[in-house]
Amino acid sequence: MKTFVGIDLGSTTTKAVLLDENREVIGRGITNSRSNYATAARVASQEARVDARFTLFRRALAGADGLATDLDEFLSALERAFRLEQFVEQLADLEQTCLGHIKGDRFAEVEGAVKEALSEVFERLRKEAPELYAPGAKRKSDFFRDIAGSRYHAHAEEVARAASAPYDLLINVYDKSIIDVENRPPEGNLSDKFRRALSRILSADQSASNIQSTIEDALAIDLEETYLVGTGYGRVTLPFSKEHIRSEILCHGLGAHMMYPKTRTVLDIGGQDTKGIQVDENGIVANFQMNDRCAAGCGRYLGYIADEMNMGLHELGPLAMKSDKPARINSTCTVFAGAELRDRLSLGEKREDILAGLHRAIILRAISIISRSGGVTDEFTFTGGVAKNEAAVRELRKLIKENYGEVTININPESIYTGALGAAEFARRAHEGGDSMEEAA
Amino acid sequence: MTIAAGIDVGTGAVKAAIFSVENGKETWLSRAILRIRQRDPIELARIAYDQALEDAKLTPNQVDYVATTGEGESVPFHTGHFYSMTTHARGAIYLDPESRSALDVGALHGRAISIDERGKVLSYKMTSQCASGSGQFLENIARYLGIAQEEIGSLSQQADNPEVVSSICAVLAETDVINMVSRGISAPNILKGIHLSMAARLSKLLKSTGAVSGVVMMTGGLALDKGLVAALEEDIANIKDMKTIVRSHQDSIYAGAIGAALWGAHRFEKLAASGLLPKAA
Repeated sequence: MKTFVGIDLGSTTTKAVLLDENREVIGRGITNSRSNYATAARVASQEARVDARFTLFRRALAGADGLATDLDEFLSALERAFRLEQFVEQLADLEQTCLGHIKGDRFAEVEGAVKEALSEVFERLRKEAPELYAPGAKRKSDFFRDIAGSRYHAHAEEVARAASAPYDLLINVYDKSIIDVENRPPEGNLSDKFRRALSRILSADQSASNIQSTIEDALAIDLEETYLVGTGYGRVTLPFSKEHIRSEILCHGLGAHMMYPKTRTVLDIGGQDTKGIQVDENGIVANFQMNDRCAAGCGRYLGYIADEMNMGLHELGPLAMKSDKPARINSTCTVFAGAELRDRLSLGEKREDILAGLHRAIILRAISIISRSGGVTDEFTFTGGVAKNEAAVRELRKLIKENYGEVTININPESIYTGALGAAEFARRAHEGGDSMEEAA
Repeated sequence: MTIAAGIDVGTGAVKAAIFSVENGKETWLSRAILRIRQRDPIELARIAYDQALEDAKLTPNQVDYVATTGEGESVPFHTGHFYSMTTHARGAIYLDPESRSALDVGALHGRAISIDERGKVLSYKMTSQCASGSGQFLENIARYLGIAQEEIGSLSQQADNPEVVSSICAVLAETDVINMVSRGISAPNILKGIHLSMAARLSKLLKSTGAVSGVVMMTGGLALDKGLVAALEEDIANIKDMKTIVRSHQDSIYAGAIGAALWGAHRFEKLAASGLLPKAA
């Protein structure tokens, strides 16, 4: 089948969206951009293809009999098993890479101890891996770097303490290795991984062969990459030709328009920038404003806070929601926010109140950027990673109402893919317009 | 004889130093340093203090004064707390009596402190509001490049064509650097570029406190970064009317802890003389 690919190379995360010919999203993929952009683009679009397979499985299995559980349950079990396969594979890569980095003067006398500690750490990581992907398990993030990293740190601290091995060296080996691992696109045949995941969850019951053959059929469908458009911060450094690049602002405007055709104002809070965009009834950008010179109040702000509190990014919003008395935050600097947090904690302020204050600080910055772009017009759409954060959303709703009265506020659960969605639609239109992949690539 | 401990809780590391002072003679008995790396600083302060005590073969009740500085105010076993300007000034004088300025470069702040010959603070200026060019930024980049902090200095000195970091903001500069990596710029050239941009800010800071001549002692964690020290010297050499001599000491990172311990001993002796002894921890 024909697919149209949009890739949004953000400064923190890279997103990919696969559209089919009917303008329906069949797959979404995301990865962190903290490696080189070419790899990030490859990984994100591979993730989108993985997701597209699940869409195809769903289509194929809908109405099929022989499923022991219902379809949603089956697919989410399959996805967890697939993620576990992926995780274990990357963990093995990480371990090998770590072992390769134990060399040089700094390891001269402790090589044996570090190796021993390392193998203990990885033993523990492997052992707890299935737990991370158990039904209902909460992960700090879906990225390998974050999941493996936070658990590695925790185990390394314990192991180092118990074996009096040098903790700093263990962390340094990890820091060196994670970059290598991240810069290697995941290897291996995707179909095989699906098959292994399937055999993990399928019991010996007789209906299994039925499902297996349906899955095989879905795996056999060719996902033809008909046209690709890239956007986002990293678009210029990518191996895309000019015909395959659209500006971020255009893609966000169009993406928001596709999700909510009546949208006139779009706020996008990304990792390192905040954009206020005004669009017309066709999704064309009429005006925009974004932060420059300073990343205050961007998504990364929350990233620093999460690191500081040793929490996952997803966990911040729910904790901030518990506050009824947000603290007044003075520093707007993203990097200093961590220090301010620590100061306030040591003065005895409650974590939830500080967090609520930090969320408010982000939204205050965003409101000022929107107002510079021309204010809020009905309907208003909030996109970007921070739109997933309920505490930020609560604050935003409050401030929009105070400043602009009653307007419709749209927040799509897949809002982080807005830019990639716009890019995919540009790809589809380009193809429709007669361009083909061959002449452009 | 007075025994005093200084504990400096910074953003990047916790430092402890124990001194004995007798008839004005200061003897450094022991030291300990622990990088924080996402662990609880207050718990690490305890561990560092215990290590320093063990090294000095002392028990806690033999210590007359436990002084904290930096963010150490909430260390439960401290006797008193000193502002880090005063401790770094005192530490700089201890490390080199010729120091007339201390340039404290830590994870988050750069601070220029002008001091008199007895270690009294005359004036100070610090970077604020914005973390561009902070040590934390350098540390993040090093971690991103997979480089241990100890290696930063020597790598920076191998640069042949430093790439200037264009962003004004530390967070945006991170993205800049990530792009440099995908463009194939070498780690030494990236690190040297960051060092040069930090140095430009620091020499401006020094100049604004009036430190245009005399000895400047680097203190804080980044004093150990030879690449930063070299970049600062280069930058100052290019500034007209600035003849400041930059020095760093192998124990510069302990300056805050040293200063805290020495001020602690001083305060204890004054209190003892006036009959108002604090209760030792």
